[in-house]
Amino acid sequence: MRIATDPMHQFQINKLFDLNIGGLDVSFTTSALWMVIGVLLLILVLALATAKSSTIPSRMQSLGEIWYGFIAGIVKDVNHAPGKPFIPLVFSLFSFIFVANLIGLMPYFFTTTSHIAVTGFMAIFTISLVIVVGLIKKGLGFFKIFVPSGVPVVLLFIVTPIEIISFLSRPISLGMRLFANMLGGHVALKVFAGFVPSLAVALGGIGMLMGGLLVVPLIVGVTALEFLVAFLQAYVFAMLTCVYLNDALGEAH
Amino acid sequence: MATETAEHAGGGFPPFDQIATTGISQVFWLIVTFAVLYIASAYVFLPKIRKAMEDRDGAIKADVAKAAALSAKADESVKQFEAQIAAARANARDTASKAKAEADAKTAAATAAKEAELNARLAAAEARISQTRAAAMANVSAVAEDTAAAIAEKLTGVKPSPAAVKTAVSGAMGG
Repeated sequence: MRIATDPMHQFQINKLFDLNIGGLDVSFTTSALWMVIGVLLLILVLALATAKSSTIPSRMQSLGEIWYGFIAGIVKDVNHAPGKPFIPLVFSLFSFIFVANLIGLMPYFFTTTSHIAVTGFMAIFTISLVIVVGLIKKGLGFFKIFVPSGVPVVLLFIVTPIEIISFLSRPISLGMRLFANMLGGHVALKVFAGFVPSLAVALGGIGMLMGGLLVVPLIVGVTALEFLVAFLQAYVFAMLTCVYLNDALGEAH
Repeated sequence: MATETAEHAGGGFPPFDQIATTGISQVFWLIVTFAVLYIASAYVFLPKIRKAMEDRDGAIKADVAKAAALSAKADESVKQFEAQIAAARANARDTASKAKAEADAKTAAATAAKEAELNARLAAAEARISQTRAAAMANVSAVAEDTAAAIAEKLTGVKPSPAAVKTAVSGAMGG
């Protein structure tokens, strides 16, 4: 009973089989299982979408083209021409997060993006990529992003530390946002769902009726909202990746 | 929240509690699965999707260019047709005006000929009239002379000389 209503239980990672590579514990867990399922699902959809290419697209081909066009559109709007090589990366990031979020909405399925280890690593990876690409493209000139042009020299002593702090806080906000949204949404769903048995236990038949009439519509609404959040968070992550990449690719601002 | 204590007692907060035990495993599998997804999409699926879209754009552009060429050709034909119509019209106008001029010339010639004929007949008639009149006038003076001679003979008993009578008559007649 406690396990069923405990809103945190759904985030528990269980070990499926042990795996040890180079002394590191990389056991296959439920989290890994759902990542594999998500990627396989994406590859299946992409394979169906690209199975037959024709001038007049089929439904699946249309889906693939809209999907690709959506991401390519974001990259083009934010990064313009130099962003083209990063379309596959942004596409993969968006798809991976989106599918993980969607899978998480199914009852008893595990949400890989509800763990800070995953989202945090993604964010650190993104910011590291920005730094590496920036250093390759602009050399040490990349660090000019911390020194905004047109600011009086005296103010630079204040502005530059702020810029550095804001840059360093990006991976934290990027990873934390996705993690917190997924975690919060699922906790909310579980807590609301928990009201039904709680009411039933506390008030009997009337409680069950109240739970059914009041709480279930609420859960349906929140679930719909969570679908929106699932998409939105993937979109935000992809969008912010593009925006941050612009520091490395774009003209000095 | 009444269940808060139960939560902490039961599950705790897995995203933080389990980071030490499963963090490396999560990141490892994230890298593995994400790499698979990235490689599959970057090298297999996205080029296919992009190619299909570019092919479609190319086909549309080619069709539009073809349509533009056909349209230009049609315009050209229309222009040619209009030129032909204009030429035909000019030709027709030419023929009409030529025919009109010819007809006018013919009419004018016929009119002139008729006029000349009429004039000739008029002149002949006038000549005849004046001839008749002259003859008549000659007769009048002869009669007048005879009459004058007869009157003078009756009055004077002397027969005047024809020359004198003639002079007197022509003087009286205002000749």
